[in-house]
Amino acid sequence: MNQITRERLFGFRHAFDDRVTMVLTLAALILFLLAPLLIFIATRATNSPPDKRKELWDRYRSWIWVAAFILIPILAGAFWTILAVATLSFLCYREYARITGLFRERTISLIVVIGILFITFAALDNWYRLFVASFPLTVALIATGGLIPDQPKGYIQRVGLGVLGFALFGSALGNLGYMANDWNYRPILLLIIFAVELNDIFAYICGHLFGHRKFVPNTSPNKTVGGALGAIALTAPLFALGAHFVWFDTALDTPVRLLGFGVIVSIVGQFGDLMLSSIKRDLGLKDTAKLIPGHGGILDRFDSLILVAPAVFHYVNYFVGFAAGQPQQIFSGWGT
Amino acid sequence: MGNVMEPWKLEPARDTGLTPGERFRSVRRESGLLEGLAHQACFLLLRTYFAIAHRLTIEGRDKLPAHGPFVVAANHCSHLDALALGAALTPRHRERAFPIAAGDVFFQSGVTSTFSAIMLNALPMWRKNCGPHALADLRRKLQEEKAIFIIFPEGGRSRTGSMMPFKHGLGMLVAETNVPVVPCGLAGTFEALPPHRKLPRPVAIKLIIGDTLEFASTANDRTGWSQIAQGVESAVRNLATQ
Repeated sequence: MNQITRERLFGFRHAFDDRVTMVLTLAALILFLLAPLLIFIATRATNSPPDKRKELWDRYRSWIWVAAFILIPILAGAFWTILAVATLSFLCYREYARITGLFRERTISLIVVIGILFITFAALDNWYRLFVASFPLTVALIATGGLIPDQPKGYIQRVGLGVLGFALFGSALGNLGYMANDWNYRPILLLIIFAVELNDIFAYICGHLFGHRKFVPNTSPNKTVGGALGAIALTAPLFALGAHFVWFDTALDTPVRLLGFGVIVSIVGQFGDLMLSSIKRDLGLKDTAKLIPGHGGILDRFDSLILVAPAVFHYVNYFVGFAAGQPQQIFSGWGT
Repeated sequence: MGNVMEPWKLEPARDTGLTPGERFRSVRRESGLLEGLAHQACFLLLRTYFAIAHRLTIEGRDKLPAHGPFVVAANHCSHLDALALGAALTPRHRERAFPIAAGDVFFQSGVTSTFSAIMLNALPMWRKNCGPHALADLRRKLQEEKAIFIIFPEGGRSRTGSMMPFKHGLGMLVAETNVPVVPCGLAGTFEALPPHRKLPRPVAIKLIIGDTLEFASTANDRTGWSQIAQGVESAVRNLATQ
């Protein structure tokens, strides 16, 4: 492992080398300092009932934990970032398996876990070919593992659910981990996560302000066309501005490509939200778990990020690419 | 390998919507991949421990039904009892085996309930104010999940080593069902770790498994429960004094 790789994986001294990282981290800190004041004023002004207030404070406290879970590994180094993404994959899959009942199929779950470990290793190793191979090979393994009980009844369900789970939480989320192979991964990841979370908030606020027409009443009755369009209108230019600094002077850095990028992040983020709503409605659940006070489960919090990860990865990969100039096969290529 | 014999159902875990702390204390708890591995690892260790420290001998192991649901009922005078019975089950059984443990001992604090749930797969029984619904929940779990319960119908550890009369709880679980009860007699656990001792002595332990009993035609009422308690009690007494 050479010096550059070691610095990327563990070099926390480089945390604020990029100005975008600095700006986004500061923005997060300021938001966390201002939020108690805003909650205090808002609950006083509207005279909201105690349970509503408690929920808001619960949400605030949980957000601090969630933000720490995201920020600390990203700032600390690519190694920790990739491990954090793997943890997120496992937690999301666990919740998904429990709400769908797939957790009772131990063989399938074990294969999904192995698949996630492979993707994680591929990301840590910066081995793109293994990263690409992980998806089809794990799918093949799941289809094979489904045969083990020798019970055709339910084969399609258990294998189908296993493949969907791996595709969403192993493969799609795994793209976030692979991005950490870029020397400049910190602002990239922070920008994506920031934009996706803001996008949720924009959709919520715009929906309240000028949402009249229901968007998909059967899937998510509170979503409105106004909210969806408002979120695109606000998120896309903000993201484009951030992306302009992150991918400064690259093939991506044209107004059309940057704005298109922002629109994709906003739309796909909202689709991720709707996807989880559909899954929950299909199962007749309100939340996926009761793990994060005020939010519900891990999936309830990270739903919007799931589909955005592969969309962003391949948009950037098409124009610029990741990890340019970084050594490949850090561990597996030892001695070659 | 999951539900080998049952058709596939898109059904959330029965403990969905509980916080982690509530879940550990709930009889609705269903183990996942990691917890399943933890139970297996724990019982493998216990098995080794009992073989080395207590030269555990098991008689009549072939009398255990091939799969759940069934109830293992034994005499109780030591904390080693449930562990010894757990260690006697096959790995396939262990996946669905739940020792029913005293809530006030094993599920009082967060640490003990986490340990009891993750390592032993124990379910709490609250001795002070356990309503009839607690037993109804266990009765349902036994049948729906094809579970294996390890229970001590005396309702607590005997302080003298001699058996106490069996309580009605066992009858409330199995009356009017085809769920077999496996009577078991444990000898040596009192000498190894009586209630007043903190650490076990390396005394030999013997477990004798008896013929299964069924109570499909015993009424699910006070008289029936009493009959079941007496029937299983005398079977266990015979085995324990062999």
